[in-house]
Amino acid sequence: MRRNHRAAVFTATVLVGTLFAAGCSSSSGGKKSTEDTSGASAGKATTPRMTVAMVTHAAPGDTFWDLVRKGAQAAAAKDNVKLVYSSDPSAGNQANLVQNAIDQKVDGIALTAAKPDAMKDVVAKAKSAGIPVVGFNSGVSDWKKLGMLEYFGQDENIAGQAFGQRLNKLGAKHALCVIQEQGQVALEARCAGLKKGFSGKTDILYVNGTDMPSVKSTITAKLTQDSSIDQVVTLGAPIALTAIQSLTDSGSKAKLATFDLSKDLVKAVQDGKIEFAVDQQPYLQGYLAVDALWLYKTNGNFSGGSTAPVLTGPAFIDKTNVDSVAKFAANGTR
Amino acid sequence: MSMTQHAEPAVTSPPAPGPKEVDGRTVERPQVLRLLARPEVGVFLGAAAVYVFFLIAAPPVREGASMANILYGSSTIGIMALPVALLMIGGEFDLSAGVAVITSALTAAMLSYQLTMNVWVGVIAALVVSLAIGFLNGWLVVKTGLPSFLITLGSFLILQGVNLAVTKLVTGNVATDDISTMDGFSQAKKVFASSFDVGGVQVKITIVWWLVFAAIATWVLLRTKYGNWIFAVGGNKDSARAVGVPVAFTKISLFMLVGFGAWFIGMHQLFSFNTVQSGEGVGQELIFISAAVIGGCLLTGGAGSAIGPVFGAFMFGMVQQGIVYAGWNPDWFKAFLGVMLLGAVLINLWVQRTATRR
Amino acid sequence: MTGKEANTHGAILQDTEPEDGDRPTVQLRNAGKAYGNIRALHGVDLAVRPGQVTCVLGDNGAGKSTLIKIISGLHQHTEGEFLVDGEPVHFTTPRQALDRGIATVYQDLAVVPLMPVWRNFFLGSEMTKGPWPFRRLDIEKMKKTADEELRNMGIVLDNLDQPIGTLSGGQRQCVAIARAVYFGARVLILDEPTAALGVKQSGVVLKYVAAARERGLGVIFITHNPHHAYMVGDHFSVLRLGTMELSAERSEITLEELTNHMAGGTELAALKHELSQVRGLDVDELPDARDLTAL
Repeated sequence: MRRNHRAAVFTATVLVGTLFAAGCSSSSGGKKSTEDTSGASAGKATTPRMTVAMVTHAAPGDTFWDLVRKGAQAAAAKDNVKLVYSSDPSAGNQANLVQNAIDQKVDGIALTAAKPDAMKDVVAKAKSAGIPVVGFNSGVSDWKKLGMLEYFGQDENIAGQAFGQRLNKLGAKHALCVIQEQGQVALEARCAGLKKGFSGKTDILYVNGTDMPSVKSTITAKLTQDSSIDQVVTLGAPIALTAIQSLTDSGSKAKLATFDLSKDLVKAVQDGKIEFAVDQQPYLQGYLAVDALWLYKTNGNFSGGSTAPVLTGPAFIDKTNVDSVAKFAANGTR
Repeated sequence: MSMTQHAEPAVTSPPAPGPKEVDGRTVERPQVLRLLARPEVGVFLGAAAVYVFFLIAAPPVREGASMANILYGSSTIGIMALPVALLMIGGEFDLSAGVAVITSALTAAMLSYQLTMNVWVGVIAALVVSLAIGFLNGWLVVKTGLPSFLITLGSFLILQGVNLAVTKLVTGNVATDDISTMDGFSQAKKVFASSFDVGGVQVKITIVWWLVFAAIATWVLLRTKYGNWIFAVGGNKDSARAVGVPVAFTKISLFMLVGFGAWFIGMHQLFSFNTVQSGEGVGQELIFISAAVIGGCLLTGGAGSAIGPVFGAFMFGMVQQGIVYAGWNPDWFKAFLGVMLLGAVLINLWVQRTATRR
Repeated sequence: MTGKEANTHGAILQDTEPEDGDRPTVQLRNAGKAYGNIRALHGVDLAVRPGQVTCVLGDNGAGKSTLIKIISGLHQHTEGEFLVDGEPVHFTTPRQALDRGIATVYQDLAVVPLMPVWRNFFLGSEMTKGPWPFRRLDIEKMKKTADEELRNMGIVLDNLDQPIGTLSGGQRQCVAIARAVYFGARVLILDEPTAALGVKQSGVVLKYVAAARERGLGVIFITHNPHHAYMVGDHFSVLRLGTMELSAERSEITLEELTNHMAGGTELAALKHELSQVRGLDVDELPDARDLTAL
């Protein structure tokens, strides 16, 4: 009896849902309202087909790493390169992925050295196998020691310092640096840099980045606890967007600035909800890393003379220049 | 059910009436101890202790707005902890509960955005998908007889991959597009993610839903046939089946209930943050399970309550936010959280031991 | 008693239906069960009549549990016939067996230990009140009924809210028997109800078995203890290696014969011989197979 009843309710729900779907299109928003603009495209190189392995420490499903990968794919398409992308947040597994690439006898390897010691052996192996290795994104202080050819990225500490100096100019006194993953080297370095460059007081707050409601309530809690905080600094685009709500919830007058960029974040900068965003240009990092390997293989070029890194950031984006990047961000490439 | 005729005990061997075996086990324990032995009382005391502790250690907690914030954080854990607790009482686990939340939110967001439909279409489709995932989990567990730990570990991994791959395939990005300007959004936001004013304090609607669901779950668990079956299938599946309890139906519906919870929280996340990142939700399942266990649900099934996990989730939210309100060194955050939780569980255990000691 | 032959190997019950009032409630004819190519049970005949206790004896692995599972609806027979009130049946769930008045009380899984006594008593057949979305358990009535029924069976508990797991093994069995009787069972299957119990507790359970018989129930009493069986049994069937070794009325068999069959007289003799080969073991004190059968 009961079971039949439930089945009936279920069937009814599905039916109603289907009927509903038939005559229920949205008159605003949605995909139809966005124009289909294709991303960057260029001619294709005629050099022989080569294979480049890109191995990162990215956790799956992160917007930032998606941009890195898109940049790498764009370069690969242009340079007639077959790109093999893989990633694993655990350093040991990442090293195994690099070993895997060496075994496949790829023509070049681009990797992130978030935990440089774990990469030492495999980079040495790649070198002895005659495979050029370039670093990007993480490992700015270790890439030379590891024997990498060149490095593309942002010095997180320098970026943090620049961020702090910018806050000084804006007159902030007490900043809150929100870290969404406790112990992550790059994030900790940003906050450390901020502390160095910022003349006011800097507090650090750890939040659980995989659970947005808890991010929201934790930032709210901190703002209530310490009402002298007048500047919130977030280290990732989704966290920044959530922090906007925390600021409203807590009634705090603090301002908000962030690292990293995304489509929705550009909108928030345009609306003045976020003062500025510091972009390390992940698309550029991915692009340059692949392109550099291609150049090295085809023409022997390499940048920085094996001593200086190529810095892709920090690029400041505020109300004055946000419109120029808005279009690219909407495409999901900036 | 026909009443049997009670003929007078026949001459040959009438069972002698009266207590046959008084062996001390049936002696009544004092009322207070019996009350303490209830699983939800231990966690209530633990939660009260944590609350009082932070009232003293963290002055901002005393304000209404802070309480509303703590309760909000607790409610998003608590709404999921309820079905997870019922499932645990029913003797099963669902490790996919954390990512299933995101699956639901992604489904709703992508469906309504890509097809440019009223968001309610996405909301209902997400409900169907969530219930279907629950059904599949339950059906596989019942049919194969494998531990639900293994089955849902599988679905956890599958959903994690599907969340990412399908989102990339459909949107080209790893996060969904903003749906906040679409038809029905503000309506749905009212249901899932609004807040209202109580004496100058903004109270999130999830808190209300949380308490409503907890009340319904308590009633169902203690006052209905279905509740009786939940205890029975978790306590002893085979004897439950032998006396005619529909074990498969009970278990599968419990998994679907978790699906419902995932849908609700997924909708909350979608309508309060407008977009969803496909990689979120991993690790949340353990928090839901912890809240249920802290709330006095037996890991092996067969015992627990619906009100216990409410306090369990509250304790979790309280500790999580209380550390921030207290302004302690954040480097120790996780360690504090662990110590507080362990302490709370130990108090809980001690209370139960004291109360059930013979 | 219609005076059937005591047949030591595969007793065949007569095919013609006996006169009214003595028709078996549950009857197996040449029934068997195979799991894949393993034959767990083969050629079993069994009849259960109202007001009679049919004892099924057998060593571990003799097929007793398979037999119960078929009758209680947990498994289906693959050979022969299974009749209830003379009508062939194939139960797919225990619920169907229950609906035909066949209730099973298992040795170790008779109850859900953590649930209160009254909830256990009504588990699967709860009393409810109110219209559908608000249909709820009628707790007061259930507690009252459970208390009355248990008192009728001579079990008095001071607190029906205590988890049934806190009762003694004998009390648990008795609650389960009282429960089955209350829910209109006509045939009661008791799976080794005395196996894990002490002497005194076993006595209590046997008393309730007799009480159930006096109420006109047919009882299938599964055990490997011939002494317990002989105390309450009207008919005895011995299973060995999945087939019926003996089927006899009480009037046709003595306790000693039963014990011998149960223990497997010939096997015992062989065992005695083997043991005598072992150094230092005194077997003279052990009874001979001959001694056992002769009595």
